[in-house]
Amino acid sequence: MPIESAVVLAAGEGMRLRPLTKYRPKPMLPVTNVPILEHVFDALVASGISEIHVVVGYKRDRVQEYFGFEYDGVPLTYHVQEQQLGSGHAVLQAQPGVDGPFLVVNGDQLTSPEIVDAVVEAHAAGEQLGTISVVESELASRYGAVSLDGDTVTDLVEKPGEGHHRLLNAGVYAFEPAIFDRIASTPAEDGERSLTTALTSAIETGSTLTGVRTEGLWRDATYPWDLLSLSAEMLDRSDEEVTIDPSATVADGAIVRAPVVVGPDAVVAPGAVVGPYTTVGRNASIGCNAVVEHTIVDEDTRIGPNATLVDSVTGRGVDIAAGVTIEGGDGDVRIGDRIHEEVELGAVVADRTELGGGVSAEPGTIVGAEASVATGVVLDGVVEDGVEVVR
Amino acid sequence: MCGIIACIGHTDDTVDVLLSGLSSLEYRGYDSAGIAVSNGKLDVRKREGELDNLRDAVDADPISGTFGIGHTRWSTHGPPTDENAHPHTDADGRVAVVHNGIIENYQELRDELEADGYEFVSDTDTEVVPNLVASFLDEGYDAAESFSRAVSRLEGSYALAVIVAGEDAIFATRQDSPLVLGIGDDAYYLGSDVPAFLSYTRNVVYLEDGQSVTLRPNGWQVKNGDGAVVEPPVNTVEWDAEQTGKSGYEHFMLKEIHEQPTALRQCLSGRLDPLEGDVVVEELSDLDTPGAVQFVACGTSYHAALYGAMRFREVGIPAQAFLASEYATAPPPIADDELVVGVTQSGETADTLSALRTAQGRGAETLAVTNVVGSTASRECDHVMYIRSGPEIGVAATKTFSSQLVSLSLFVESVTSNTGSGRTRALVESLRDVAGDVQSVLDDSEGEIEDLVDELGGSDAYFFIGRGYNAPVALEGALKFKEITYEHAEGFPAGELKHGPLALITDETPVFAVVTGDDEAARKTLGNIKEVQARGAPVVAVTDGVLEVERFADEVLRVPETDGNLGSLLANVQLQLVAYEMAASLGRPIDKPRNLAKSVTVE
Repeated sequence: MPIESAVVLAAGEGMRLRPLTKYRPKPMLPVTNVPILEHVFDALVASGISEIHVVVGYKRDRVQEYFGFEYDGVPLTYHVQEQQLGSGHAVLQAQPGVDGPFLVVNGDQLTSPEIVDAVVEAHAAGEQLGTISVVESELASRYGAVSLDGDTVTDLVEKPGEGHHRLLNAGVYAFEPAIFDRIASTPAEDGERSLTTALTSAIETGSTLTGVRTEGLWRDATYPWDLLSLSAEMLDRSDEEVTIDPSATVADGAIVRAPVVVGPDAVVAPGAVVGPYTTVGRNASIGCNAVVEHTIVDEDTRIGPNATLVDSVTGRGVDIAAGVTIEGGDGDVRIGDRIHEEVELGAVVADRTELGGGVSAEPGTIVGAEASVATGVVLDGVVEDGVEVVR
Repeated sequence: MCGIIACIGHTDDTVDVLLSGLSSLEYRGYDSAGIAVSNGKLDVRKREGELDNLRDAVDADPISGTFGIGHTRWSTHGPPTDENAHPHTDADGRVAVVHNGIIENYQELRDELEADGYEFVSDTDTEVVPNLVASFLDEGYDAAESFSRAVSRLEGSYALAVIVAGEDAIFATRQDSPLVLGIGDDAYYLGSDVPAFLSYTRNVVYLEDGQSVTLRPNGWQVKNGDGAVVEPPVNTVEWDAEQTGKSGYEHFMLKEIHEQPTALRQCLSGRLDPLEGDVVVEELSDLDTPGAVQFVACGTSYHAALYGAMRFREVGIPAQAFLASEYATAPPPIADDELVVGVTQSGETADTLSALRTAQGRGAETLAVTNVVGSTASRECDHVMYIRSGPEIGVAATKTFSSQLVSLSLFVESVTSNTGSGRTRALVESLRDVAGDVQSVLDDSEGEIEDLVDELGGSDAYFFIGRGYNAPVALEGALKFKEITYEHAEGFPAGELKHGPLALITDETPVFAVVTGDDEAARKTLGNIKEVQARGAPVVAVTDGVLEVERFADEVLRVPETDGNLGSLLANVQLQLVAYEMAASLGRPIDKPRNLAKSVTVE
């Protein structure tokens, strides 16, 4: 029986991507002006999937409102995971909508049709309970690692952290419907049902899982600055060097340095220099003589005249006044209790924050959502959501 | 007001196609539903009440056929009963008919037919049609000829679809009532509206008044009123089938409230030029600056029209909004350079069409501001501006009201040339921000409104007040609230309270006060808030916080600060959410409130 449906997991917030996830879940963060989830749907549609079940939870309005009932001719059905109780629990939410073998795909990681095709093919070729995509990556120990004996999966470990792991679980699976019972019968740990735990218990009790090695693109954004490298990767892969939506306005006197994407109804004023490796979201504006490079400018954001933004990520509806300077380069970034050293990041400025005229930011600055920073302030470190910074 | 579906060319799932079509049309009215299919003879199933009653009837006693017709009814003649539901047949069951509209001369026709021995079983005007067709069959005419002879006897407004036993065809026609033809690969459809068959085809023909169409298994043919064959243009509908589904939301209304940022982006796309500080509405490029403007509209669209008229007056052009149902009774004088603007979401609102026709009859230039491409208003008016909201299924208009406010703002700017002026520049910037501002209202409201509803539920009545641009919002807030909660709600321009309604204010009548900006209207509204608070009414301020309203309010619903009088639109989104949450807490059928229909196609 060919695989026709896919279950896409899009219920999680992605806490390490805060403050960008204050109003939307990680799958809705933009890479080349479209949500990560849209790239995932593209890969599924390209592989001939004809029915997509989306498991939604955190800020699900944003997913449902954006995609509606259909994507590229493929019907979407939403299944609500009210509480995020693990990936196995998430998969179970889609059970009522699925019959026959199906795919499970993470909605918050970039994947490619090659990976999806490889999993579909390998699953159809055998009798196994499940098929797991595997890519070689030094990141395996940071994500999920897979041990293989030939094509057979012998073990799965989530975030092992240590030891020698080079085979990474790329988050694209094919399963027989029997997997639902398997997940349901695996005891929850700390109230959560993880898919990995269910799969390791399946292996222990004699079920066969097949690993399929692929070379397709797999990328994840763990931290806000990872969005910049994902964006760069996707811009490099695109056939078009410069994509300007027909409804966008790029003034005659503006300079666009490839690769660049300018979204619908966006405006680039005379004298602005945009790019390279920059995306300008829908209805965003870049003011006269502003310089924006290696940066993601999200929907509705306004960059004032003479502002400079390098290596930065803005959220939606951010207001960056005239003469703001975010110079870019390497900085130390604090996320929670952890300091990430030497990260290439100018600043992250989250949704609906206002930076007053002439504000400047040290590399590695994180400004939360709905914050307000007075004229001329020099920022570094972390500004929490909703904080008003005065000089 | 009713909904029609018909299909031919499906072999074994005709009944499913008809039922799913009816379900997509339920928003047009829902007090009864029925279908008829042909398999040599005609089989009819119809039931009073919701569509599920009909489904149960079909499950209990299945029927099948290769073509058929279906109908959801909203009563105009006779109560909702099984007998009065469509399709209607003649006594012998040779002819089955579904009908939308009113046959005005039905009594005369019925008397005539009864005198000839034809029997009637229902109270409906529709039943004359199958009997009339039967009478021509009895005179020896073939089915097609009998149909066209019957139609020529009808007076009134109608969309009709007719099947005759033993004839592999569906005959249909329209006069002042919507009917759309859908053209699939091997099958053909009729619907009152495109969603009826959108899951099968996107290729449609919008039939004109007086045209008739014959569908057969192998093709279709459209004729004009004089019998001449015509080749009408086939349009491709770009609306996605998705849009007729609920996308994971509990109700269409909630989905449509959340779709507002997207709807506004669509409405504004390509119509703003922030670099030049200009508004460009392409379809209005041949419209001169009017000397004066009259708006005609009903319900929610009327509230949008009040807002539009105010915008014209602000730029020095006399403008007034009229209730369309009152307009024809005592039409105001129309000056030579006066423009009459019909605001109608569906473009099929009978009262608005009638008012526009009255104005046209007096020589006025007309503009339709509508959501539906190819609708009657869009075709009959001299000019049309589309609000680009996408289909709205919930009976209570939400996103289309927001799109109407923005469209009317664009309309005023585009016909009054103020390119580059400070005022226009500021408005363009505010309009560019409005979708994000609405999103911000939606994001921040989570949980807040449920609490408010818990607190205020069970009150005696609910009042809504506002001044200036917020006066239409007060009216709209109350309309939304009453139509879906069934609770008593009234909206007043705030200054009117003391001239009467203040007598109704008690500690059991919460007052929603809309205050945005800090102009004179806002400051005066503060005074009105104090008036009601002094009488013990709980006050909910819907405000951008520019004035310190909090001090006088028991509860506050915040909206972002904005310019250009768009705060009214944002405040209205809060009131939509209040109405929705209150109706949800009361367990109302939110998408289909009792006694109401989405598109009111009778006067």
